[in-house]
Amino acid sequence: MLSPASGTGRFYRKSAKIIRFARHGCANRPFFHIVVTERRRTQKMPVIEQLGTFDPLENEHNEKLVSLNLERIIYWMGSGAHISRPVDRLFGLAGLLPIHPTSYMTAWRNRKEIENQAKEEHKEGEAKT
Amino acid sequence: MFALNVISKTLNLPATKSAVNFQILRWRRKPRWVPIAKSKQFRIPQRPVIIEDEQIELKRLFNNYRTQMKSIKRYIVERFVAARAITTDPKDIQRIFDEDFARCNKINDEWNSDIQSKRIEYFENTLEENINLAKESLQKRLELEQFKLEEAEKIVTEQKELSKTFITADNIDEAIERSLANPVDYNFAVDLDGNKFYNKKTL
Repeated sequence: MLSPASGTGRFYRKSAKIIRFARHGCANRPFFHIVVTERRRTQKMPVIEQLGTFDPLENEHNEKLVSLNLERIIYWMGSGAHISRPVDRLFGLAGLLPIHPTSYMTAWRNRKEIENQAKEEHKEGEAKT
Repeated sequence: MFALNVISKTLNLPATKSAVNFQILRWRRKPRWVPIAKSKQFRIPQRPVIIEDEQIELKRLFNNYRTQMKSIKRYIVERFVAARAITTDPKDIQRIFDEDFARCNKINDEWNSDIQSKRIEYFENTLEENINLAKESLQKRLELEQFKLEEAEKIVTEQKELSKTFITADNIDEAIERSLANPVDYNFAVDLDGNKFYNKKTL
């Protein structure tokens, strides 16, 4: 049975919390809830609270949709919750936190790859003429 | 995969063709007590190669990021701690409660006044609309009644025209005399050309 978005997970006051993804899709259809749980809990266990959603598959307008409950995210950060790296990256892109270095890294690597492809195509074109 | 192979073998089908609707779910790799395979025993996994420039840049970025995150987290935590600073003094508790209540009340009042103005506007508009609607329907009703009256009038005049030829108690004798004087015989036959044949009796 699905638990409500407000969460039913039990937690200790001083235990380590973490804001992370919980995969809620099915086979070949990933869909993530952004949740806050105790760090030691597994992915499918009841969560303390759901803080948002993330759809990694692009929609018809080539957009990946994200929803964040910023008020609650800041509340949980304020009470000392950790943040997992993928969620850190997402928050960076959302403008809540500074942009994560790995985001920059993927960007420049992609850019480099595109440049290389363009060069190769140019060379091929020259070779043909 | 093993099960799939067995199935394909028993059915005597090529694995690729029989696996159209199969989806292999690899939910774990192997039991924990199974040792490293003989073929993989001395395999050295390839390390990712990072260019030196990239590494330096990444180091710089990560250092910046960590510093920024540290300060942000500290700021949020401090703000959060200040927000929920707990006091045991009942006066303070009462004061905090009153302040919070006043704040909430103010928001509530704002919403209420906003909604009230919207309600008044809405009801005024709907009243006007309803009045217009009623007027329109009344007009339609009157038109319909007028039309019906005219129709009735038309029928009455037609009937009045016809009533001049009616047989009444005054002119009944006259009518009888006239009909006796002009007997009409319907006992005739008609041929194809429309000629009427009277007083012919068949044997």
